[in-house]
Amino acid sequence: MAQVRTTTRGGDTREARIGGGARIRGRIHGEGDLVVEGQVDGEVAIRGDLTIAEGASITSEAVEAHAVTIAGTLEGDVAATGPVRLAPGSRVRGNLRGTAVTIDDGARFSGKLDCEFDLPPELGGAPRGDARGRPPARR
Amino acid sequence: MASTVIGAGITIEGEITTDEDVVVAGTVRGKLSAKEGITIEHGATVDADVAGASLVIAGALTGNVTATERVDLQSGARVIGNVKAARVTIADGAQFKGNVDMDV
Repeated sequence: MAQVRTTTRGGDTREARIGGGARIRGRIHGEGDLVVEGQVDGEVAIRGDLTIAEGASITSEAVEAHAVTIAGTLEGDVAATGPVRLAPGSRVRGNLRGTAVTIDDGARFSGKLDCEFDLPPELGGAPRGDARGRPPARR
Repeated sequence: MASTVIGAGITIEGEITTDEDVVVAGTVRGKLSAKEGITIEHGATVDADVAGASLVIAGALTGNVTATERVDLQSGARVIGNVKAARVTIADGAQFKGNVDMDV
Protein backbone atom coordinates (compact mmCIF):
# COMPACT_ATOMS: atom_id res chain seq x y z
CA MET A 1 0.00 0.00 0.00
CA ALA A 2 1.45 3.28 -1.00
CA GLN A 3 1.91 5.99 1.51
CA VAL A 4 1.98 9.55 0.42
CA ARG A 5 3.30 12.45 2.34
CA THR A 6 1.01 15.38 2.08
CA THR A 7 3.38 17.95 3.50
CA THR A 8 4.57 20.12 0.71
CA ARG A 9 7.05 22.22 2.62
CA GLY A 10 9.27 19.68 4.28
CA GLY A 11 12.07 20.83 6.52
CA ASP A 12 14.63 18.20 5.57
CA THR A 13 14.81 18.98 1.90
CA ARG A 14 18.47 19.97 1.88
CA GLU A 15 19.28 16.32 2.24
CA ALA A 16 19.04 13.91 -0.61
CA ARG A 17 18.75 10.18 -0.37
CA ILE A 18 18.58 7.46 -2.96
CA GLY A 19 16.73 4.64 -1.19
CA GLY A 20 17.64 0.99 -1.26
CA GLY A 21 15.01 0.12 -3.84
CA ALA A 22 15.98 2.92 -6.19
CA ARG A 23 18.05 2.88 -9.32
CA ILE A 24 19.25 5.97 -11.14
CA ARG A 25 20.77 6.09 -14.57
CA GLY A 26 22.05 9.55 -15.31
CA ARG A 27 23.75 12.51 -13.78
CA ILE A 28 23.29 13.76 -10.22
CA HIS A 29 24.56 17.21 -9.36
CA GLY A 30 23.87 20.16 -7.10
CA GLU A 31 24.28 21.32 -3.54
CA GLY A 32 23.68 19.41 -0.35
CA ASP A 33 24.57 16.08 1.14
CA LEU A 34 23.68 12.87 -0.63
CA VAL A 35 23.22 9.40 0.81
CA VAL A 36 23.06 6.55 -1.68
CA GLU A 37 21.51 3.28 -0.50
CA GLY A 38 20.47 2.08 -3.94
CA GLN A 39 22.13 1.91 -7.32
CA VAL A 40 23.50 4.79 -9.32
CA ASP A 41 24.91 4.45 -12.81
CA GLY A 42 26.28 7.81 -13.87
CA GLU A 43 28.20 10.86 -12.88
CA VAL A 44 27.83 12.34 -9.39
CA ALA A 45 28.96 15.90 -8.72
CA ILE A 46 27.72 17.54 -5.55
CA ARG A 47 28.88 20.30 -3.25
CA GLY A 48 28.26 18.39 -0.05
CA ASP A 49 29.12 15.13 1.60
CA LEU A 50 28.51 11.85 -0.18
CA THR A 51 27.80 8.63 1.67
CA ILE A 52 27.61 5.34 -0.19
CA ALA A 53 25.85 3.09 2.28
CA GLU A 54 26.33 -0.63 2.80
CA GLY A 55 24.62 -2.52 -0.02
CA ALA A 56 24.65 0.48 -2.33
CA SER A 57 26.52 0.55 -5.58
CA ILE A 58 27.72 3.34 -7.82
CA THR A 59 29.20 2.93 -11.27
CA SER A 60 30.48 6.26 -12.40
CA GLU A 61 32.97 7.95 -14.65
CA ALA A 62 33.54 10.57 -12.00
CA VAL A 63 32.42 11.20 -8.45
CA GLU A 64 32.93 14.70 -7.09
CA ALA A 65 31.93 15.71 -3.57
CA HIS A 66 33.31 17.14 -0.35
CA ALA A 67 33.76 14.34 2.17
CA VAL A 68 33.15 10.88 0.73
CA THR A 69 32.36 7.85 2.89
CA ILE A 70 32.04 4.50 1.17
CA ALA A 71 30.61 1.39 2.81
CA GLY A 72 29.17 -0.08 -0.39
CA THR A 73 30.54 -0.67 -3.86
CA LEU A 74 32.03 1.96 -6.11
CA GLU A 75 33.50 1.65 -9.55
CA GLY A 76 34.95 4.91 -10.71
CA ASP A 77 37.24 7.74 -9.81
CA VAL A 78 36.64 9.94 -6.78
CA ALA A 79 37.72 13.58 -6.60
CA ALA A 80 36.91 14.82 -3.11
CA THR A 81 37.55 18.27 -1.70
CA GLY A 82 37.48 16.69 1.77
CA PRO A 83 38.48 13.37 3.28
CA VAL A 84 37.69 10.00 1.72
CA ARG A 85 36.98 6.99 3.90
CA LEU A 86 36.60 3.39 2.82
CA ALA A 87 34.65 1.64 5.57
CA PRO A 88 34.85 -2.07 6.40
CA GLY A 89 33.03 -4.12 3.78
CA SER A 90 33.42 -1.53 1.04
CA ARG A 91 34.63 -2.48 -2.43
CA VAL A 92 36.19 0.24 -4.49
CA ARG A 93 37.83 0.09 -7.88
CA GLY A 94 39.14 3.42 -9.12
CA ASN A 95 41.41 6.27 -8.26
CA LEU A 96 40.87 8.29 -5.11
CA ARG A 97 41.75 11.90 -4.55
CA GLY A 98 41.05 13.77 -1.34
CA THR A 99 42.59 15.78 1.48
CA ALA A 100 42.97 12.52 3.36
CA VAL A 101 42.21 8.92 2.54
CA THR A 102 41.33 6.33 5.17
CA ILE A 103 41.09 2.67 4.31
CA ASP A 104 39.58 0.67 7.14
CA ASP A 105 40.34 -2.94 7.89
CA GLY A 106 38.01 -5.06 5.77
CA ALA A 107 37.76 -2.58 2.92
CA ARG A 108 38.74 -3.80 -0.53
CA PHE A 109 40.35 -1.31 -2.83
CA SER A 110 42.13 -1.38 -6.10
CA GLY A 111 43.33 1.82 -7.68
CA LYS A 112 45.55 4.79 -7.18
CA LEU A 113 45.61 7.16 -4.24
CA ASP A 114 46.31 10.80 -4.82
CA CYS A 115 46.50 12.79 -1.65
CA GLU A 116 49.06 15.25 -0.37
CA PHE A 117 50.62 14.67 3.01
CA ASP A 118 54.04 14.50 4.60
CA LEU A 119 55.52 11.07 5.03
CA PRO A 120 56.67 10.32 8.55
CA PRO A 121 60.49 10.23 8.83
CA GLU A 122 60.62 6.47 9.23
CA LEU A 123 59.01 6.08 5.82
CA GLY A 124 60.83 8.97 4.22
CA GLY A 125 64.40 7.80 3.85
CA ALA A 126 64.89 4.91 6.22
CA PRO A 127 67.61 2.53 5.12
CA ARG A 128 66.16 -0.83 4.25
CA GLY A 129 67.56 -4.24 4.63
CA ASP A 130 67.37 -4.83 8.35
CA ALA A 131 63.66 -5.13 8.42
CA ARG A 132 63.52 -7.93 5.91
CA GLY A 133 66.15 -10.08 7.49
CA ARG A 134 65.14 -13.71 7.51
CA PRO A 135 65.70 -15.92 10.47
CA PRO A 136 68.97 -17.76 10.08
CA ALA A 137 68.63 -21.27 8.71
CA ARG A 138 68.58 -23.79 11.46
CA ARG A 139 71.09 -26.57 11.57
CA MET B 1 10.48 9.69 5.91
CA ALA B 2 10.54 8.75 2.31
CA SER B 3 12.93 6.16 0.99
CA THR B 4 14.26 8.38 -1.75
CA VAL B 5 14.50 12.13 -1.34
CA ILE B 6 15.82 14.43 -4.03
CA GLY B 7 16.83 17.45 -1.95
CA ALA B 8 16.15 21.04 -2.92
CA GLY B 9 19.68 21.68 -4.18
CA ILE B 10 20.00 18.48 -6.17
CA THR B 11 19.42 17.92 -9.88
CA ILE B 12 19.10 14.51 -11.45
CA GLU B 13 19.26 14.17 -15.20
CA GLY B 14 18.36 10.69 -16.27
CA GLU B 15 16.14 7.87 -15.24
CA ILE B 16 14.97 7.13 -11.70
CA THR B 17 13.32 3.79 -11.01
CA THR B 18 12.33 2.58 -7.57
CA ASP B 19 10.16 0.03 -5.74
CA GLU B 20 9.61 2.50 -2.94
CA ASP B 21 8.34 6.03 -2.55
CA VAL B 22 10.01 9.22 -3.73
CA VAL B 23 9.95 12.84 -2.59
CA VAL B 24 11.25 15.42 -5.02
CA ALA B 25 12.18 18.83 -3.66
CA GLY B 26 14.88 19.53 -6.25
CA THR B 27 15.01 19.07 -10.00
CA VAL B 28 14.47 15.94 -12.07
CA ARG B 29 14.86 15.77 -15.82
CA GLY B 30 14.25 12.54 -17.67
CA LYS B 31 12.01 9.85 -16.34
CA LEU B 32 10.71 9.04 -12.87
CA SER B 33 8.91 5.87 -11.94
CA ALA B 34 8.10 4.42 -8.54
CA LYS B 35 6.00 1.48 -7.41
CA GLU B 36 4.68 3.54 -4.51
CA GLY B 37 3.94 7.18 -3.85
CA ILE B 38 5.61 10.15 -5.48
CA THR B 39 5.50 13.58 -3.89
CA ILE B 40 6.63 16.60 -5.86
CA GLU B 41 7.04 19.34 -3.32
CA HIS B 42 6.45 23.03 -3.64
CA GLY B 43 9.55 24.53 -5.25
CA ALA B 44 10.52 21.33 -7.07
CA THR B 45 10.90 21.22 -10.84
CA VAL B 46 10.20 18.00 -12.69
CA ASP B 47 10.70 17.81 -16.41
CA ALA B 48 9.91 14.16 -16.87
CA ASP B 49 7.31 11.54 -17.49
CA VAL B 50 6.19 10.35 -14.08
CA ALA B 51 4.62 7.02 -13.16
CA GLY B 52 3.71 5.81 -9.68
CA ALA B 53 0.96 4.40 -7.49
CA SER B 54 -0.26 7.70 -6.10
CA LEU B 55 1.09 11.13 -6.82
CA VAL B 56 0.91 14.35 -4.86
CA ILE B 57 2.04 17.35 -6.85
CA ALA B 58 2.63 20.78 -5.36
CA GLY B 59 5.54 21.87 -7.56
CA ALA B 60 6.12 22.43 -11.26
CA LEU B 61 5.83 19.44 -13.55
CA THR B 62 6.14 19.21 -17.31
CA GLY B 63 5.47 15.75 -18.63
CA ASN B 64 2.91 13.02 -18.69
CA VAL B 65 1.67 11.57 -15.42
CA THR B 66 0.39 8.05 -14.93
CA ALA B 67 -0.77 6.67 -11.61
CA THR B 68 -2.21 3.27 -10.77
CA GLU B 69 -4.20 4.78 -7.91
CA ARG B 70 -4.56 8.55 -7.82
CA VAL B 71 -3.16 11.95 -8.65
CA ASP B 72 -3.66 15.02 -6.45
CA LEU B 73 -2.68 18.42 -7.75
CA GLN B 74 -2.35 20.67 -4.74
CA SER B 75 -2.62 24.41 -4.51
CA GLY B 76 0.49 25.96 -6.05
CA ALA B 77 1.08 23.08 -8.45
CA ARG B 78 1.83 23.89 -12.07
CA VAL B 79 1.38 20.93 -14.38
CA ILE B 80 1.70 20.83 -18.14
CA GLY B 81 1.00 17.39 -19.52
CA ASN B 82 -1.54 14.62 -19.58
CA VAL B 83 -2.73 12.94 -16.42
CA LYS B 84 -3.92 9.34 -16.42
CA ALA B 85 -5.32 7.85 -13.22
CA ALA B 86 -8.57 6.41 -11.89
CA ARG B 87 -8.87 9.24 -9.36
CA VAL B 88 -7.71 12.77 -9.95
CA THR B 89 -8.17 15.87 -7.82
CA ILE B 90 -7.20 19.40 -8.76
CA ALA B 91 -7.18 21.78 -5.82
CA ASP B 92 -8.15 25.41 -6.01
CA GLY B 93 -4.98 27.31 -6.86
CA ALA B 94 -3.43 24.54 -8.94
CA GLN B 95 -2.55 25.36 -12.55
CA PHE B 96 -3.05 22.63 -15.08
CA LYS B 97 -2.82 22.34 -18.84
CA GLY B 98 -3.38 19.01 -20.48
CA ASN B 99 -5.79 16.13 -20.70
CA VAL B 100 -7.20 14.05 -17.91
CA ASP B 101 -7.91 10.40 -18.56
CA MET B 102 -9.75 8.62 -15.76
CA ASP B 103 -10.28 5.59 -17.97
CA VAL B 104 -14.06 6.06 -17.96
